[in-house]
Amino acid sequence: MNSLLNQQSPKTDNLVSPYLPSAATVERVTKLTEKERLFTVTPLAAIGGLPVSFDPGQFFMCGLPGYGEAPFSVASMPVNSHINGSPKQSFDLCIRAVGNLSNAMHRIKKGDRVYLRGPFGRGFKTDELKGKDLLFIAGGIGIVPMRSFIKSVAGKDSYGKLTLICGAKTPEEILFQGEMDEWKDMGMDVRLTIDKRHPGWKGNVGVVTTLISSLKLKPDKTVAAIIGPPVMYKFVALALRKKLIKDASMLVSLERRMKCGFGKCGHCQINSSYVCQDGPVYRLTDLAGLPEAF
Amino acid sequence: MADKNQYRYLTKTGLKSLINGLMKDRVVYGAVKKDGFPAFGRITRFEDLELSQTPTHLSAKEFFFPQRECLLKFDIPTGAHEPVVASQGQAVIGLHPCDIHALNLMDKVFAHGTSDANYLTRRADTVIIGAECFPDEYCFCSSVETMNANAGFDIFLHEIKSGFLTHTGTDAGRHLLGKLTKTVKASASRIKELDRLKKKKEGAFKTRLNAPAKDLPGIYAQSSDSPVWGKIGAICYGCGSCNNVCPTCCCFDVKDEVGANLKDGLRVRVWDGCTLEDFAKVAGGHNFRKTRAERLRHRFNRKFRYLTDKFNALFCVGCGRCSRACLVKINIAQVTNELIAESTITKNR
Ligand SMILES: Cc1cc2nc3c(=O)[nH]c(=O)nc-3n(C[C@H](O)[C@H](O)[C@H](O)COP(=O)(O)OP(=O)(O)OC[C@H]3O[C@@H](n4cnc5c(N)ncnc54)[C@H](O)[C@@H]3O)c2cc1C
Ligand code: SF4
Ligand code: SF4
Ligand code: FES
Repeated sequence: MNSLLNQQSPKTDNLVSPYLPSAATVERVTKLTEKERLFTVTPLAAIGGLPVSFDPGQFFMCGLPGYGEAPFSVASMPVNSHINGSPKQSFDLCIRAVGNLSNAMHRIKKGDRVYLRGPFGRGFKTDELKGKDLLFIAGGIGIVPMRSFIKSVAGKDSYGKLTLICGAKTPEEILFQGEMDEWKDMGMDVRLTIDKRHPGWKGNVGVVTTLISSLKLKPDKTVAAIIGPPVMYKFVALALRKKLIKDASMLVSLERRMKCGFGKCGHCQINSSYVCQDGPVYRLTDLAGLPEAF
Repeated sequence: MADKNQYRYLTKTGLKSLINGLMKDRVVYGAVKKDGFPAFGRITRFEDLELSQTPTHLSAKEFFFPQRECLLKFDIPTGAHEPVVASQGQAVIGLHPCDIHALNLMDKVFAHGTSDANYLTRRADTVIIGAECFPDEYCFCSSVETMNANAGFDIFLHEIKSGFLTHTGTDAGRHLLGKLTKTVKASASRIKELDRLKKKKEGAFKTRLNAPAKDLPGIYAQSSDSPVWGKIGAICYGCGSCNNVCPTCCCFDVKDEVGANLKDGLRVRVWDGCTLEDFAKVAGGHNFRKTRAERLRHRFNRKFRYLTDKFNALFCVGCGRCSRACLVKINIAQVTNELIAESTITKNR
């Protein structure tokens, strides 16, 4: 009888709950600042050879039972290694303590488990960017998703000149400064700035846009990736347009409240676009006509 | 519209047999009266059923997408997560054509891309029996092409003086009618009576949109900067009632509820509403739709443009529930008519 009923309704054969997460083991917790910690996680399904596969800029819904879930960007690409002889893959999530779940995440220790769904959304398509000069502009915690992008292109011959502009409120809040030195060694031009004067800081002071004017960019060859707080996008786009970078060559990653990750809960919707599916990484031209984008 | 030859005549006693038959192996919900108002509720006796001519205050979405539902159970010490896809054989009786259209739209949302097992399983386990209606002053389904339903139900009932004319939308519906009750081919005079009723319904709309349905997405696309949003934003309470009563509003929040033993708990989803202040707020306090005007603009555009772009159908079915429920009398049809009046699309016609 139900098989007859199924004829008119959408198919329900073999439906599995899309809300069920899978466990991942925390391999390492690194305290970056008072507010940010880096978690290296190994999805259990990946032990024994199942590949974890994602593009930089994509995200996972990460949760703890009792604390709910929230979206977190991949902060690295998958890294292969071995435990007790069997291959495994791990990757990084970097979490700022701001609320219910993220504060609970900060109490997590090596060997504990977190629960993941994903990867979701569209990230940076590194293959399509081969041959380009890449300009990374990160504000605050925007360096986290940017790190997965940088790690997947840094040191590779197939890309042109790599430049990173990274800004934060204070020197301590510029994450991954140690790694930035390694990126410099790989040939990347790294420029840092902080919002206001700070004792002991000898570098640039001012918002990230102040570093753009002095750059020498090849407009036809450059693609810019921009990730930061919402206010940043408009000003960075203006500064880049002055450098003759086209909107089609600017990639941005947007943040929204997200509860599902696959176009159901409605929280991430901007006009007819769902950030969890069509984003978080967009070409700036795809956001034309979406005044609520940022 | 159903083929005339398809109509079968069912007496009131015949309907009773059908409902009683359904109650034997299903949980049956249907149109009832609550505090004198039409609503959907559980039916345990045929006499509970009071088919209503005008829309119920709340839509029937709660039977497919409950206000609160468990998505999974977890155990904190072991970290075990167990998915919950709860569904029961059920029947919902008395959905009007607009309600059936709304269900078909919810199907699109929950089936596109990653399927939502919870909704879709319930939908598949439900017998839908539709019923004809008559507009009140808020209804405007005739303006959004949802006045008649051709699909999305198993059986449809048209009430006439001496009983019902039925037609079926699925094999399951035909099977149920044949198995649980008795119908006869509708006579020409009864079909004529139905035609008269349909004409009467068509003429009875007090609310109409002043533009054809196909122009509405374009008209909304021109309206982003309209003063209308500020005007209604200034009086809106941001109470979310319009989201609650709407048959196509299906946004939700997900949260964990930990048991009293602090060991196990549930991950639940609950209805959420885009007119509520926190809906688009992110960490750091940034709110992508800060003002009530922006939130109403989002809700109305979702109905007439945003989801239309994505699913190729208007997501307002013209039931008028949001207008009926609004404490400050924001009326979606009036607002839309104001936008139509401002639009160049209508002026160039
Ligand atoms: C694609 C994407 C990638 C992301 N990547 C990262 C990342 O790599 N690292 C990272 O740290 N963060 C990231 N975020 C942000 C992160 O998902 C949020 O900060 C998330 O809210 C943290 O969850 P929480 O439960 O800790 O916070 P919540 O408890 O949800 O609270 C966070 C903040 O949200 C607001 N808020 C929450 N609930 C309410 C409410 N009911 N009323 C009013 N305000 C409320 C408050 O401002 C509060 O401070 C990302 C977000 C997206 C969309
Ligand atoms: S927007 Fe209002 S009139 Fe349209 S379907 Fe929803 S409740 Fe009914
Ligand atoms: S029901 Fe009326 S007052 Fe309440 S949120 Fe909707 S439009 Fe605003
Ligand atoms: S996160 Fe739920 S719709 Fe995008």
